[in-house]
Amino acid sequence: MNPFHTPHTPKLIKTRCNPLALRVRLGKIVMKTLFLVSLCCALVWGQNPNDTAPQVQATALTEGQLNVNSRYTIESVQVIGWREKKISTHLRSALNQIVGEKLDHPHLDLLAQEIKKEIHAANVQVKVVRGSIPDQVAVTFEIPPSHELGVDLNVARFLYHSAEGWSAEGNAGTRIKGNNFTFGMVSDSDAALERFAGVRAGFERSNVGTDRLSVRFGFAAYHDQWNDATLQADAADTYRTRYIFEPQATFVLAEPLALDFGVRVSRYRLAAPLANTESSNAVVSTLRYHQRWGSDLKDVQQEGNANYSVTVATHVLASDPTYARHSVSALYRLKHAHNLLELSFLGGKIAGIAPLFDRFVLGNATTLRGWSKYALDPLGGSHVVHGSINYAYRRVQAFYDTGAVWDKPSQKQQKQSVGVGFKASAFQLAVAFPVGAGHTEPIFYGGMNF
Amino acid sequence: MASLRLIRSWWVILAFVSGFALAMLAEDLILDSHDNRIEFSAPRIHFLSGKPLDRLRNAAEVPFDFSITLWSGTKNHIFRRSVDRFVVSYDIWEETFSVVSKVQQPGKSASHLKAPATEAWCLEQMSMDVTGLSATEPLWAHLDIRAEDEGRGPGGLFGKGNISESGISLNSLIEILSRPPPSPQAHWQLDAGPLKLEDLRNHRR
Repeated sequence: MNPFHTPHTPKLIKTRCNPLALRVRLGKIVMKTLFLVSLCCALVWGQNPNDTAPQVQATALTEGQLNVNSRYTIESVQVIGWREKKISTHLRSALNQIVGEKLDHPHLDLLAQEIKKEIHAANVQVKVVRGSIPDQVAVTFEIPPSHELGVDLNVARFLYHSAEGWSAEGNAGTRIKGNNFTFGMVSDSDAALERFAGVRAGFERSNVGTDRLSVRFGFAAYHDQWNDATLQADAADTYRTRYIFEPQATFVLAEPLALDFGVRVSRYRLAAPLANTESSNAVVSTLRYHQRWGSDLKDVQQEGNANYSVTVATHVLASDPTYARHSVSALYRLKHAHNLLELSFLGGKIAGIAPLFDRFVLGNATTLRGWSKYALDPLGGSHVVHGSINYAYRRVQAFYDTGAVWDKPSQKQQKQSVGVGFKASAFQLAVAFPVGAGHTEPIFYGGMNF
Repeated sequence: MASLRLIRSWWVILAFVSGFALAMLAEDLILDSHDNRIEFSAPRIHFLSGKPLDRLRNAAEVPFDFSITLWSGTKNHIFRRSVDRFVVSYDIWEETFSVVSKVQQPGKSASHLKAPATEAWCLEQMSMDVTGLSATEPLWAHLDIRAEDEGRGPGGLFGKGNISESGISLNSLIEILSRPPPSPQAHWQLDAGPLKLEDLRNHRR
């Protein structure tokens, strides 16, 4: 039987041929379509959550677990983008340590902050995607391009000290094919006996054939101003201007031990009316040790820093004064949760007669903080010993300093001071009092990075 | 024939209007009564969207704060308020959502959910005991959902991230000050009422 000749076929043909029947049929189709559309609208827009109740299967979350992805293992970590090559080996090591670990997104966010801080990036984004095999993920830290000025501008530090006044320093730097060029302006009344104000310029190449060797050349030109106490003590040794040229190199003996060596050529014009310009040309060398245990991401962090410096000015280098200056400094820092403990030590000795800029000073924003350096020894000393204990809980800090600066043993007097203040990041604001001074005149200071 | 056409036209319009009305009704917060509890649903609210969804797809967990307030008698009298925090995460391998309630003890959780089911599950956990509420008293409900802002980290203008041993980087400050203003917190709100408990019960029957 021919399937095309069923009894319905002629009827259909007949219906199609009737215009009224066709209209009725079309009307039915339109109505049904409209009804279905409106019903769909109602179902889609008006669906009751109970109708699509979530099918809760066996949970993939263990107790205390918030992120279902924390069961996945990190198979790779990479950093891409702006200044990626500036990341230190220490931080790279911390990044590599998370490979093989379970995914911990808050920890990744902390690492992103570490990168941001280290390379001065405006933003670091964390991207997590599926890994190459199931149950593994790949992590990428993306550093978007910054407003690249080609020049880094830094407010390096600033300080207000109630006995010394303002100090500030600003720097600009740029990097061209592995060579760093810096230029800065400074006005400092804290570090030395005098206020020196002027410009600094420098060149540094951090890799000379090997990562272990770097070289730098520094130049500075300062105008010097003196406190009345110093002028009254001995105005003959003061100077008006000072120019410094320092070609130096650093050789990493064995991590974390490094040696700086080079020369420092200083020319200074004495303040006395008919005095000549003098030179202090010296061999300078510093043995440095710096070690960190833990990182900013861990509860307990320790840091050790020790330096031994020697400066030898000799006639061989056509130096007017001849002397040998030795100094030792050490710092130990322990951070546990919100507690921070810092122990520091400074010791030094000068054999010979050094110009004022190389003499030891106590009584500033870092040593014997309750004392004024002009009251302690307005000419500085050839011997120094100093120790400090700092303790901070969250942003509140307390400290104790003790030390002495002298030329002759008979002049040696141990001084002490205590103080309290606030410390947040590199900012610090404190008040310090001298102990046993016969008066309680406090010293106020505040600033950043001093 | 003409009357038949007229009836059909009305039928078509009625079908449209009823469908549209149902859809409009569904935009609001829907209350349902079970025993002495009121359950909530809001099928038109999709909080797993936009920036929170982007963060979830990046394998991060995103907390959502839920708050439901029930007024009875007048809108000045808060009968009950319920709050909870749901931490949602998105399984990047299975492409399903998991959610944990942070307030409820013991903490409830669900996983292997699609986005609508996750949203519905969170609202289900917000059901409220209405023992003591008169069946004839008017009541109003307000639902508030907020996604926790993505942490900006130790930043800020002079945050730790912008200060180092070399000082305050002016480049970082320029970058920070050049940023567009932060987008407002992802936030959803819905209201319902005035309603009566007896109406909710009758509606259920």
